[in-house]
Amino acid sequence: MLDSLQLWLEGSALSHFINWSSWVWPIGECLHFLGFTLLLGTVGLLDLRLLGMAKELPPGTFERLVRWGIAGFAVCLLSGVMFFVGIPGGYIDNPAFRLKLIFLALAGVNVLVFSRTVARGVEGLRPAETAPLAARWMAGISLLLWVAVLCAGRMIAFFKP
Amino acid sequence: MDPFYAWIEHTALSIWIRESLSIFAFPGILTLHTLGLAFLAGTQVAIDLRILGVASLVPIAPLRRFFVVSWCAFWVSLVTGMLLVVAYPAKALTNPLFYVKLTLITLATWTAVRVGSALAVGAGEGDAGAASARRLAAASILLWTGAIVSGRLLAYTYTRLLSDL
Repeated sequence: MLDSLQLWLEGSALSHFINWSSWVWPIGECLHFLGFTLLLGTVGLLDLRLLGMAKELPPGTFERLVRWGIAGFAVCLLSGVMFFVGIPGGYIDNPAFRLKLIFLALAGVNVLVFSRTVARGVEGLRPAETAPLAARWMAGISLLLWVAVLCAGRMIAFFKP
Repeated sequence: MDPFYAWIEHTALSIWIRESLSIFAFPGILTLHTLGLAFLAGTQVAIDLRILGVASLVPIAPLRRFFVVSWCAFWVSLVTGMLLVVAYPAKALTNPLFYVKLTLITLATWTAVRVGSALAVGAGEGDAGAASARRLAAASILLWTGAIVSGRLLAYTYTRLLSDL
């Protein structure tokens, strides 16, 4: 099934566009890194605050900053899909890519659990107030998972078949 | 310069980084370099965005506490970056874009120092220092973007891999 997916993707118009100019790929990589930097920076600051750094900052005020991180993630998603469609054979059987997808899925689950459990309490935290233990755990897991996503992503190049 | 590149390439450290099959050699060092730059540029750009008015309810002065993370990331990037140059000196040092990247990193780091001292004296909260803090923040975002782009494009613009190639 993965083989037919690969053949279909390789024949698609998008795949032809990506391989049409030698500049499409490097520009996509730059955007991929810039988008991730925005995500790691904004979400990272919130995670660090929840873990106890710069506790004078009320976490509820971070929302607009995190939106820029979500925009960065959208850029990563679009450029990432472009890489996959461009050269599906470099990713489908790539262990680093598979690991990255697992870390991404776990990061997504972490965001979902956070927003459904502790998010409301975190929004109400006052300056100098310590985040609840569950929120601190999820902040630490978030940081670790985004670091893991970056590491696995950087390793994709070394595991291309 | 070729004898100099060749001398570096023949050191045990250079050979290990280049030729070892360990994941902690070239791939690991490159990954740490990427991670360092992502944390350095990421934390700084997020702080710059706040100075420029994003999430204006976030108090500005305490943001300087995050600089310790930026500086740790800076040293990780610097040390791993030097190791990458030791592994492939000719590849980096014969590429004009490498010097563009170094210049952008230097300028961006200098703006980070200036933003840090502006926050320490309480600039950016609507006083006379706010306008100059905003100019610094805008320059910082452009410089980090340029540093990341030039760094990524090093892989596409080198003309020599080793001193004898």
